[in-house]
Amino acid sequence: MSKFGISQPIKRVEDVRFLNGTGRYMDDTAPEGALRAYVFRSPVAHGEITTLDVADARAADGVHAVLTAAELDAAGVRNQMDAAVVKNRDGSRGAAPPRPILAIDRVRYVGEPVALIVAETLAQAKDAAELIELDVEDLPVWTTLAPGGEAIHPEAPENLAYDWAFGDAEQTEKVFAGAAHRVSLEIDDNRIIVNSMEPRGCWARWDGARMHVSFSGQGVWGLRDQIARNLGLDKGAVHVTTPDVGGGFGMKGFAYPEYFAVAEAARQTGRPVHWMADRSESMLSDNGGRDLVSVAEAAFDEDYKLIGYRVHTTSNLGAYNSGFGQNIQSELALKVLTGTYDVQDVFFAVKGIYTNTVQVDAYRGAGRPEAIYVLERLMDHAARQFGLSPWALRQKNFIPADAFPYVSASGETYDVGDFGRVLSRAEKEADLDGFKARRADSGAAGKLRGIGLCYYIESILGDPSETTKLEFTDTGKVRLYAGTQSNGQGHETVYAQILNEFTGIPMDAVEFVQGDSDLIAKGGGTGGSRSVTTQGTSIKATSSRLIENFTPFVAEELDAAPEEIDFEDGNFHARGTNKFIGLMDAAQAARDKGRDDLLVCEAETKLPGRSYPNGAHVCEVEIDPETGQTEVVRYTVVDDFGVLMNPTLAEGQVHGGVVQGLGQAIMENAAYDADGQLLTGTFMDYAMPRAIDTPFITFHSEPVPSTANPLGMKGCGEAGTVGAMAAVGNAVQDALWDRGIRRVDMPFTPLRVWSWLNRADMAAE
Amino acid sequence: MYNFDLIRPSTLEEAVKALGQDEAQALGGGQTLIPTLKQRLAMPETLVSLSGIDAIKGVCVHDDGRLSIGGGTTHATVAREAAAHYPGLAALAASIGDPAVRARGTIGGSLANNDPSACYPAAALGSGATIVTNAREIAADDYFQGMFTTALDDGEIITEVRFPVPEAAAYQKFEQPASRFALVGVFVARYADGVRVAVTGASEEGVFRWSEAEAALSSNFAADALKDLSVPADGMIGDLHGTPDYRAHLVKVLTGRAVAAAS
Repeated sequence: MSKFGISQPIKRVEDVRFLNGTGRYMDDTAPEGALRAYVFRSPVAHGEITTLDVADARAADGVHAVLTAAELDAAGVRNQMDAAVVKNRDGSRGAAPPRPILAIDRVRYVGEPVALIVAETLAQAKDAAELIELDVEDLPVWTTLAPGGEAIHPEAPENLAYDWAFGDAEQTEKVFAGAAHRVSLEIDDNRIIVNSMEPRGCWARWDGARMHVSFSGQGVWGLRDQIARNLGLDKGAVHVTTPDVGGGFGMKGFAYPEYFAVAEAARQTGRPVHWMADRSESMLSDNGGRDLVSVAEAAFDEDYKLIGYRVHTTSNLGAYNSGFGQNIQSELALKVLTGTYDVQDVFFAVKGIYTNTVQVDAYRGAGRPEAIYVLERLMDHAARQFGLSPWALRQKNFIPADAFPYVSASGETYDVGDFGRVLSRAEKEADLDGFKARRADSGAAGKLRGIGLCYYIESILGDPSETTKLEFTDTGKVRLYAGTQSNGQGHETVYAQILNEFTGIPMDAVEFVQGDSDLIAKGGGTGGSRSVTTQGTSIKATSSRLIENFTPFVAEELDAAPEEIDFEDGNFHARGTNKFIGLMDAAQAARDKGRDDLLVCEAETKLPGRSYPNGAHVCEVEIDPETGQTEVVRYTVVDDFGVLMNPTLAEGQVHGGVVQGLGQAIMENAAYDADGQLLTGTFMDYAMPRAIDTPFITFHSEPVPSTANPLGMKGCGEAGTVGAMAAVGNAVQDALWDRGIRRVDMPFTPLRVWSWLNRADMAAE
Repeated sequence: MYNFDLIRPSTLEEAVKALGQDEAQALGGGQTLIPTLKQRLAMPETLVSLSGIDAIKGVCVHDDGRLSIGGGTTHATVAREAAAHYPGLAALAASIGDPAVRARGTIGGSLANNDPSACYPAAALGSGATIVTNAREIAADDYFQGMFTTALDDGEIITEVRFPVPEAAAYQKFEQPASRFALVGVFVARYADGVRVAVTGASEEGVFRWSEAEAALSSNFAADALKDLSVPADGMIGDLHGTPDYRAHLVKVLTGRAVAAAS
């Protein structure tokens, strides 16, 4: 095994520039002399626009353009955003009301873009925005997560966007009717604001023939196609790039109105135009995450074997369909509906609701954390109701290790798994035996201690295809073109490692190229924990092809027959001789001899199947009953990620994912008032977890290599979040169970926990 | 941020004169004012920075034992330099905000702003401090007049805060989860002539003294002395992070903990 190849804990090479301030983020890359754009947004949640007068703004100092829907219309811009819809259970399609780039006649949420002001300076653009006259005749506001209210769109009476279902309702009902034991639980999944460290932003430049848009995103090709369509350009006339990105988490995976308006402003002014959201603007206008409520039911036989599972979910979409808003809590959640349990009679129904709030779409895990949260809270609840150990109930119901490949009720083919082994390891690593003593110690200090388990499984999503291009440069480097898009995860490091494993090309010779639709023909971007599996598989295939391409040439150089050439550790070797040549030297020789055809190699691969990372999260919390404060004091993770490409990076993904999950569980919460105003619009009211709020998270690998990709790996980008929410939730429930509290919902803020305790105490008196 | 003129006087006299202009606003450490300006929520024509006035900085002990802190002294300096003389106060200063806030924010700025969730008002009221300005001396009991409201006149500058040093004192803060300001903070100080209890974060009227607790603790300085007392929820702040009932409950819990910490 190479010192720099697969499975080595190499430190991230990109961190040098990220940490010393030489990363190139959105603001760092704006063209010299770019105009600054500022978005004028709706101050109210719902109403008809009766006056929109931008004349004074347009005449203000430094202003080059003010765009509204009227100006887009006049320029022939298609004033509409694209979104996917699901199929309703009656076979019709989910509602597809148009979502404009800039508001047309009506506003539907606070923060909806109404106008774009472009000026020499940002201060001038903001000054001009204050001169815009906007009158809105208020309409009733709907923020309730249920059908009802004044229709936000004529296409969706009762604000019901879709009514989707999966499974056999009748058969499932039959199983429930005949079951020895049944449990049911209503479970909230609170709304979060994603809060990537770098907010959204973009800039655009029009040279009279081609449009260049650079944006902070998760993949360039989708936006290229949409810019071309909306601005009436050929795809070939649109160039989209993405520089370093400070976090995406699914939130940056979809197009936003600003990107189109800024591109059109660049075309109209003939000057580059640059827009960057500030934090408050991001909190108002970024797609939110989660925001659903589910009623989950499970049926068990007399031996506590799970025989039926049923979930009814209501999902908040916000005011419009975002790119994938309808699909997240329905089709994507379905992928892991039944988790790691062997149960085939299921029914899953989801209603999507429009509200006068910003759109809700993918957030780290995108439907899968939500599904696992519901399932694992219910399994824990079932064990408590039955008086069984939550650990034992899970072991009893796991899909057995000899049942793989296993087709789940959702139709997913789980390739491999050994859940029982992983859970047993977790029991040891988390020192379950010692919990009683730890609880007693906490009790002596006046604290309630609880332990919570979540056994999650994840389904890797996104485009299974990916292309890699390798190019030897005349400066002795190798350029690696990738179709994925790092948002900070460490792709540069792990791809160079994988390339080193299969070609011996030194890591420091690799020049990494991503996020450029001119240089890279296609790619799948980042999302669904796909990047390293898809790109890594493609790098492996491209490496093989590269060696194959070079072999006849090297044979000639070494005076041997091609079939006598072996390749090992970066060297071609003529079998039975002491003649060898390194790949980098072979490339130089090829260049010297005019064999430029050998210097570029490209291969596309498609994964034969998805991989299913899974594992156990064990969380311990201490609750101060006097204040309601919940502290996560111990956290243990045992994961089956298959073969780890880089253990340090994998662990880092788990740490970040767990913190996002426990952040949502113990403090994060996006709240709107009845008028649709965001109450948590700054960090003064929106609580983000900090280092002091998290314990040391121990991570252990208990791998069962995947058979669904040649690397044997399982994507790990979202797994931490998928496991964390229920682990924390079950720990809080465990801590409070003996105080008579039978339902706990995120976020476990001090006020809420204290209120439950207080009510329980009063009820007991 | 809107445009403004910045004046940086080096003496108190120049600062007072500058603040006499129309629409002039004093700038201490800027930890509240600068974010407010950045959000375009205020538009002063002139900012008068007090950070160049050395005469209002520093910590010293008077002959009569009182601790004197210049109005322009940062929280970090108080945390460091008051520790040997008034550890309860130094610990409070050390718990404000984060290192960046403590390096810039000043005691005068905090007291002049009188944010209902700020920490320093609890220390000043709980210690029976004297707020000294360029014009006069104001007893803490007269100084705090409600949320963001004080006895200061326009253009008046806090030059010094004088703290009688108690026999024992402690501050207990329960942090609001997002801002990490005090959701409720209680400062308890025991003096030879009685105990003072000052509460921040809780009341719609800003910092206040919990006189029932003071009386009970003056005869028995133990958390147990509070057990029959309760704080009415009327007039307590209600928001996303705490209902009036919850805040009233926390006042009692934190007072008990402050007494325990001071004992």
